[in-house]
Amino acid sequence: MTVLAGGTDLMVELNFGRRRPEHIVAIDRVGELAGIERNGHVRMGAGVTYTRMLADAGSQALAEAARTIGSPQIRNAGTIGGNLGTASPAGDTLPVLAALEATVVLRSKAGERRVPFADYMTGPKKSVRRADELIVAAEWDEAGPAQTYMFVSTRNAMAISIAGLAMVVDRARKRVGIGLGSCGPTIIRPADAEGFARGLFDEAGWERPHRPSESAAKELGRLVAAAARPIDDVRGTAAYRRHALAVMGARALSRVAQIA
Amino acid sequence: MSEFSVIGRRLPKVNAWAHLTGQARYADDLFLPRMLYGRLLRATRPHARIRRLDVTRALAHPGVVAIVTGADMPEKMGIMPSTQDETALAVDKVRYVGEPVAAIAATDEDAAFDALSLIDVDYEDLEPIFTIEEALEREDVKIHDTSKRANVFKEVHLSFGDLEAGFAAADHVRDDWFFFEGNTHAPIETHSAVASYGADDKLTLWTATQVPHYLHRELEKVLGLPRSRIRVVATPNGGAFGGKSDPFAHEFAAALLSLRTGRPVKFTLDREEVFYAHRGRHPVKMRIRTGVKKDGEITAVHYQSFLDGGAYASYGIATTYYTGALLTVTYRIPAYKFDGVRVYTNKPPCGPKRGHGTTQPRYGFECQLDKIAVDLGLDPLEYRKRILQPPNSRTVNELRITSMGLGECLDALQRATKFSEKHGQLPRGKGIGIAGSAYISGAGLPIYWNEMPHSGAEIRIDRGGGVTVMCGTSEIGQGSDMVLASVTAEALGVLPEDVHVVSGDTSLAPVDLGSYSSRVTFMAGNATKDAAMKLRALVVEAAAEKLGVPAERLLTAYRRVYDHDDPSKFVTFTDAAVLAESRHGTLVAAGSYKPPKGIGGTFKGAGVGPSPAYSYQATVAEVSVDVETGTLTVDKLTTAHDCGRALNPANVEGQVEGSAYMGYGEIVVEEQVFRGGLHKKPSLLDYKLPTSLDTPALEAIVVESVDAEGPFGAKEAGEGPLNPVIPAIANAVYDAIGVRFDETPITAEKILDALGLRDNRRVTKDRIGPDGLGDGKADPKRALRRLGATTDARERKTVGGLRPPAPD
Ligand SMILES: Cc1cc2nc3c(=O)[nH]c(=O)nc-3n(C[C@H](O)[C@H](O)[C@H](O)COP(=O)(O)OP(=O)(O)OC[C@H]3O[C@@H](n4cnc5c(N)ncnc54)[C@H](O)[C@@H]3O)c2cc1C
Repeated sequence: MTVLAGGTDLMVELNFGRRRPEHIVAIDRVGELAGIERNGHVRMGAGVTYTRMLADAGSQALAEAARTIGSPQIRNAGTIGGNLGTASPAGDTLPVLAALEATVVLRSKAGERRVPFADYMTGPKKSVRRADELIVAAEWDEAGPAQTYMFVSTRNAMAISIAGLAMVVDRARKRVGIGLGSCGPTIIRPADAEGFARGLFDEAGWERPHRPSESAAKELGRLVAAAARPIDDVRGTAAYRRHALAVMGARALSRVAQIA
Repeated sequence: MSEFSVIGRRLPKVNAWAHLTGQARYADDLFLPRMLYGRLLRATRPHARIRRLDVTRALAHPGVVAIVTGADMPEKMGIMPSTQDETALAVDKVRYVGEPVAAIAATDEDAAFDALSLIDVDYEDLEPIFTIEEALEREDVKIHDTSKRANVFKEVHLSFGDLEAGFAAADHVRDDWFFFEGNTHAPIETHSAVASYGADDKLTLWTATQVPHYLHRELEKVLGLPRSRIRVVATPNGGAFGGKSDPFAHEFAAALLSLRTGRPVKFTLDREEVFYAHRGRHPVKMRIRTGVKKDGEITAVHYQSFLDGGAYASYGIATTYYTGALLTVTYRIPAYKFDGVRVYTNKPPCGPKRGHGTTQPRYGFECQLDKIAVDLGLDPLEYRKRILQPPNSRTVNELRITSMGLGECLDALQRATKFSEKHGQLPRGKGIGIAGSAYISGAGLPIYWNEMPHSGAEIRIDRGGGVTVMCGTSEIGQGSDMVLASVTAEALGVLPEDVHVVSGDTSLAPVDLGSYSSRVTFMAGNATKDAAMKLRALVVEAAAEKLGVPAERLLTAYRRVYDHDDPSKFVTFTDAAVLAESRHGTLVAAGSYKPPKGIGGTFKGAGVGPSPAYSYQATVAEVSVDVETGTLTVDKLTTAHDCGRALNPANVEGQVEGSAYMGYGEIVVEEQVFRGGLHKKPSLLDYKLPTSLDTPALEAIVVESVDAEGPFGAKEAGEGPLNPVIPAIANAVYDAIGVRFDETPITAEKILDALGLRDNRRVTKDRIGPDGLGDGKADPKRALRRLGATTDARERKTVGGLRPPAPD
């Protein structure tokens, strides 16, 4: 059984004859999947569209990512469940979910499973989701305003990211999360860069905004780039991806550290 | 107050409402009873012999009604009569991935599509050729047997003035190589055609074409059906930009399948197929050597171009000449040599795209002028102003120049952008650049040699005051129907909404050669004006008698014929028309236009370049470069364009802005990428065109030089304005970061490469671009040496009399 949400990935597959499923179940009118609950913890139903996220995403970085996706038409149809279902390393919400340390909620007749995002993706367009499981929601703890999503691409809309970077600084929980998209088989968490950033916030104080030094920002960028495992493809070379990640890492830190 | 009542006003296009509300009927909107749906089977090999083609299984597929293959239409065809190297469907051999091989008609699209995979084709692979260098070198592989040397399609050498003396007199000589990447038109409407063969033994083809007349001729040739039994109707084109000006496989296939089945047949290409139909911008490598005096005065130019033509001729012979023909019309060049070579490669055929063949050399030349300005310490805008080709003059290659407003364009740009104050003064990462250009208002000669008019129009006035204008032009969104309506309305004194336009119909309208080479406003405008003025004389004469006022004193405007001295004395246009019809019978008149003789030279190859008038334009680009990510942002493009007279300023501005948008895309993102002959991004998601979010602020400034021969003074506005945008952006990038981009597109990766940031080696470059022929397996030096040898051996040949543009 194949699920159709917004169809913005699935229909492309069908039109190109890459998939010919026997049965398709459309879930776009299942109200239970379309809700967003917030009470310090966010539960975003799998059927929430990007357009909806622009108004209410429960995460600044996720709203920024949603804004970059496709075009108004794609944003009206495409859902977070579909982005997770496709599990492409270029999926723009996925680095954010990684940085938020979100949980993917899967359900089947056998019951519910809660999978940390870090364990969810296993390769390009591969995940631990079983064929009989429906993605019902993504959940995370609200992390405050110090977060951002950045990407480079050959144009400003209707483009698959050449590289994307999400950074979340949860000042209350003293936590830094960084997620890298389009630069490896799965979404990458650069552990050294996160550790380095935590050290900077320990020093500067978690509760106060600060302006990181240029050398600190550069070093963070270097660590981010070092963690990436990019490849050459029609959209960009590995060298360019690595360089762009370094610049985005530095800029993201400078931006986020100044937000209280 | 203006002397005109329609001309010069910002009136909405006559077809704007239909287009805005979705009522315009494109070819794909046509549904006829019992209509069949067609699909083309396309080659999967870049270069292969067809050993066997078996349609038996496909014919047995439910819903399939008929199938045709290359064997059914073996007649050679192609847009240029002298270089016809195509067949409607491949015969014996395929030369690019995507080449049409067979055509299916079925009762529904799915059946046709599914049956494609049931056609058995057995290919014997031949070695493919993908680069200019290989094509120049490989004698052992022939894409076409007709190539005398390697895979050369056409080689031209022209020389004017004393080149050696020119270079000897120079104080400074620049020698630069450039590469212009190929790109495609990407019209929003994909190609579509519906053919219907009736019991009356007549065939009608409705099709999104820019050239209904030329297509009419090719249909006769390929189908063997007399032209008198074929009617071609050009449906409104949802954008074309040159991409719909060849005869295409699907048009012949629709026609033949309709002949065979007696049922209407529709073909609508999908987006991927449009990338294979292509005929887009040629990738061109070029070398430009320019000699100048200390003050910048040009003493000599030697321009060489190497065009990657793809698998077939298309307009290639004209494209080749165009790369060399128009460099001379902007600035004074006393000695000029042009060598051009177009080669075949196993890729979709290149052809004309907006700016046809002039865009690439203009890019190289205007970038080189910018370098010269820097070398000599001159302001690039002032410099250009000083070396302008004067109006009413002849260029070194014998082109007649009449109105020439490039100087005014440059002045207007200085006023609008303060270029000279900003150039060289902006902080690092910010830049401003300028470039000039020119374009033809229609080619001086038709594609096939004949003495007939280039454009004909017929106008009829009905008894209710309505006016019908019939002309073979094709409305491709550029506003040609509005031009016909405006010119007719202005001449007769009615309003455009009173005019019914019948265009692009070979049975109803006199021949117009088509919507290419920016010829419609000038040529169809003049033909229409000619017809309208004949009718105006009859109407005015009748009104003069009725009012008792001499005809010379009467004016026509706003549906009235009135006394200049006492406007209260008038007859309505309708009443005057009724009086005129009572006296003269049915009010019908025909008009025609043909460019004057003697506007170009008489040497072999002189057919390409002459035009009754040239448009002039210049662009200032303002850019920002993010020196960390390499991201180039074009903040603003300001283009001043001399269109003679703006028949409708809003329409002119629309063309100028659309050109700026398209040029911006060509230099910043667009790129045709092939791997093993396979197009790597045949979709609008992957083939990047700028979106509205990317598009810079655009400003259009209309400059009116009022051309003596143009209809009400008008010249072209549809193509020229694209050209200066591209070098202006490259020059602005240099101003911003000190790096020359001698190749397109200017991507973030290339900027980083130049800034030494692409890898850890940190080597900076002050120039990105080719150093000669190379990259391929071929030895570029040898190819060049050989070319150089033939170049010297074949100096300019003069032959008597005007020749068609494709002499050989
Ligand atoms: C023109 C265009 C531009 C695009 N631009 C972007 C972009 O900029 N960034 C980006 O990240 N993506 C982009 N995409 C891809 C796509 O829009 C996103 O991946 C989107 O999130 C898919 O969501 P959907 O609801 O349309 O999924 P669908 O196409 O309906 O489904 C996608 C896959 O997920 C499965 N699935 C969907 N919902 C569930 C569920 N609840 N449980 C289990 N499986 C499920 C489906 O079976 C299918 O395999 C673009 C696509 C197009 C066509």
